[in-house]
Amino acid sequence: MGELPDGAAHLSFDGRTLHAGRGPGRCFMIDARCLQGEPVSGAYAHVCALPDEDAALEFDQTEVQQVRRDAMAWWIPLLGDALVSLTTLALDEARYGGAITVTREPVTWREDPFARIFPGTVVRSDLFCPVLPPAGPVVERYAGVAWPGGRF
Amino acid sequence: MSLDPGEPFPDLDLPDHTHRQRMLSEVASGDPVALLFSRGWWCPKEQRHLREVTAAQDEFEVAYARIVVVSIDRPEVQSAFRAGLGARFTFLSDAERAWLPRLGLLEETDTLHHPYRPTAFTLYPDLTIHAAYDGNWYWGRPTIEDLRKDMRAISRAVRKDFER
Repeated sequence: MGELPDGAAHLSFDGRTLHAGRGPGRCFMIDARCLQGEPVSGAYAHVCALPDEDAALEFDQTEVQQVRRDAMAWWIPLLGDALVSLTTLALDEARYGGAITVTREPVTWREDPFARIFPGTVVRSDLFCPVLPPAGPVVERYAGVAWPGGRF
Repeated sequence: MSLDPGEPFPDLDLPDHTHRQRMLSEVASGDPVALLFSRGWWCPKEQRHLREVTAAQDEFEVAYARIVVVSIDRPEVQSAFRAGLGARFTFLSDAERAWLPRLGLLEETDTLHHPYRPTAFTLYPDLTIHAAYDGNWYWGRPTIEDLRKDMRAISRAVRKDFER
């Protein structure tokens, strides 16, 4: 994983815990806004990703397109005020490694559309701050900047 | 308040369909916008028009353009209506009529609901009005082709690499 593009931050996941930056486990690029404000203490992060380096798809694959459409259509409305922030996990300019939905309380994780691609693990975390959910689009703006981050 | 092409559209501050407070400029987030004022979920003309707009949402999404609907429906009603349409774009609720009188868009003929008059605007990312449509008569509303042309014109003006 090379230099970080503007709007991206590193996050590591070892299968059980999350670390900001290059920590133990697999390193991803996330929407940096998720780490740039006052964090929510004890939040619930549903990490739909695997530590296995082979667990990756291209962002352009229809499955990855569709789970973001579903997030916009009903996952975000379903979460309501419980939602803190969400981000996809980019591996490089083209590959999707998963997604994280962060909430203030436990929710119906079985509904998480991102879990259709990689299974979810709930991790308690003090890393994530509130970010207004995206109003669109469902495709990333710049290669390597994890959706929904980035601006033209 | 003038809502003519070339004028700035007010930066509406309203709750969205999930009750989150939003600014129109934040929803636009640097993209061209199709802003649709809608009577409400009950109106068959709105249902028809928004079904057509929803059918075009895939195109807006991949073209980095936004669709925003404003009505006097409450957020939970908008959320249900939006789900029924299969829409993924943002609805803003002016159930309190905070902006309706300031915008001068009251539908005078509906004395039961006091809704917005069906109007539409296409906006530059900085909310400058590109085009305005009066949808009092259904044919006055923008067709998808109208919106396509407006989004192309706005994108050509604001995306520096539109023509390379």
